[in-house]
Amino acid sequence: MSLVSMEFLLFAAAAVAGYYWIPKRCQWMWLLLFSYIYYASGGIRVTCFLLFTTLTSYAAGILVEQAAEKIPDKKKAKRRGKQVLAAALLLNFGILGVLKYTNFALHTVNGLFGTEFGSLQFLLPLGISFYTFQSMGYLLDVYWGRAKAEHHLFRFALFVSFFPQILQGPIGRFSALGEQLYASHPFDGKRIERGCLRILWGYFKKMAIADNAVIFVDAIFGNPELYDGLGLMGVLMYSIQLYCDFSGGMDVVIGIGELFGIHLDENFKRPYFAVSITDFWHRWHITLGTWMKDYVFYPVTLSGWMKHFSKFAKKAFGKQTGRTLPICLANLIVFFVVGVWHGAAWKFIVYGLYNGLIIAFSGLMAPAYRNWKKALHISDKSRAFHLFQMARTFVLVNISWFFDRAEDVPTAVLMMKNTLRRLDFRQVLEPGIEIGEASGTTFTVVALGVILGGCLLLFAVSVLQEQGKDLAEIFTRQHWLVKAAVYLCLILALPVLGQPSGESGGFIYAQF
Amino acid sequence: MRVMEKLMEILEDIQPDADFDTCETLIDDGVLDSFAILSIVSELQDEFGITITPADIIPENFNSAKALWAMVERLQEA
Repeated sequence: MSLVSMEFLLFAAAAVAGYYWIPKRCQWMWLLLFSYIYYASGGIRVTCFLLFTTLTSYAAGILVEQAAEKIPDKKKAKRRGKQVLAAALLLNFGILGVLKYTNFALHTVNGLFGTEFGSLQFLLPLGISFYTFQSMGYLLDVYWGRAKAEHHLFRFALFVSFFPQILQGPIGRFSALGEQLYASHPFDGKRIERGCLRILWGYFKKMAIADNAVIFVDAIFGNPELYDGLGLMGVLMYSIQLYCDFSGGMDVVIGIGELFGIHLDENFKRPYFAVSITDFWHRWHITLGTWMKDYVFYPVTLSGWMKHFSKFAKKAFGKQTGRTLPICLANLIVFFVVGVWHGAAWKFIVYGLYNGLIIAFSGLMAPAYRNWKKALHISDKSRAFHLFQMARTFVLVNISWFFDRAEDVPTAVLMMKNTLRRLDFRQVLEPGIEIGEASGTTFTVVALGVILGGCLLLFAVSVLQEQGKDLAEIFTRQHWLVKAAVYLCLILALPVLGQPSGESGGFIYAQF
Repeated sequence: MRVMEKLMEILEDIQPDADFDTCETLIDDGVLDSFAILSIVSELQDEFGITITPADIIPENFNSAKALWAMVERLQEA
């Protein structure tokens, strides 16, 4: 059941109506029921995988906690906890790995050794990466004593399966989400209104902007040689599509959460205003970034073998570089994992390592940058320098998008070369050139106009948000006629400005 | 007191532009990023002979110089 469907809207409306009608103490059970109906609508067999992750992480959480509390010998308790944790991590990440990466591994082996292993058919449960990461994060928190284990199986099942977020996040933390899911929520008209506005804004970003941009993206990235003068346009369109698709989906998800009185973590904070790649990852897919930081980056950097490497590096390269090198290495490992998480292909690994290398290089060069800025009298507070940093980051991010979207690494490189060699925007208007299924100069001009208009509106909203303005709060204070007009405009805009076929595509991140 | 001075020296060496004397929101306000946090951890481990685990890396322990010092003392006693 796609988030962009009448079926889903009716489903969500029924869930919300019942939620405030039933006794408050039953609200969480209601959410659990709807979450499982939602997930099972995608197939009963895939639901078994969700149940498996729920049961293993539930049992492991309790066993880890019991080991710490009931075994008097601290060393033994720690060892037992570690064994349980390792088993649960291995089982759950093992399933994820087998389902998502077996064919990639087979193709790589075939390429390296000339073998002829055929592809295997696997079920890929929707949202498996998201709910596996969320559950394993919970388990690590229990192991580290940051969270208490949940002893109620059905409550825990809701934490893993809460339906708005299960397909594409945000990846929630038990400490923040658990209590909200189980608490009673009285009807709050203002919150419902904010939620509805957020949902409509999300649909606008997805249907009016992303679904129009994807037509150009698919055409240009699908025919890089034919559209050799449109490389720049292709990557800019992909920038727009990816952001509006993913963040639009998040707006819908977070808005639905608000309808239930549940605040889900933000996943985007105007990423194209970032001043460095590090800053970009603090603003883009935030919950994946913080998950990686807390559960991969810190543990890897603080591991025993990394401490040995740190000592060696300090002796070999001096205190400052020696201190930073292990962090850079751990950072590369994290971005390798981020790349692999994005997909089973070498281009995603290149995409991850490209980001990791830039961040690692910046980390190593930080003291030199500070000295250069001092020598050149450049202030971080200078507006011109801030704009320069934003433009530089935007260019670097767009280079990474070539790897993310192109068919493979050689195609990405070819498109980058074409972008530098030839720039010919007229190709998009030439008669005979089809843009996806739709074609014709009029269609192209209209679609470009919708994207441009949508982006200008998005930019204006983003600037105001960046200045700290709570636009939803301002909106809820307006006269009801103004509000009705805005709602009506947004609702009417969706079918008019969306894809000509009237059917919206799925969300990119729902495939993870 | 001398030990606190050593801590301040480490912090200022890693992040010279931060105000460690008064700031109590080093993590919450993004003054320290993850690279800076791990650089501090590396120096603290070497200087004070403590072991910092991922469980210790929480904002409460890194939001101010005082909080950092409290963590060092706690880990020295453990």
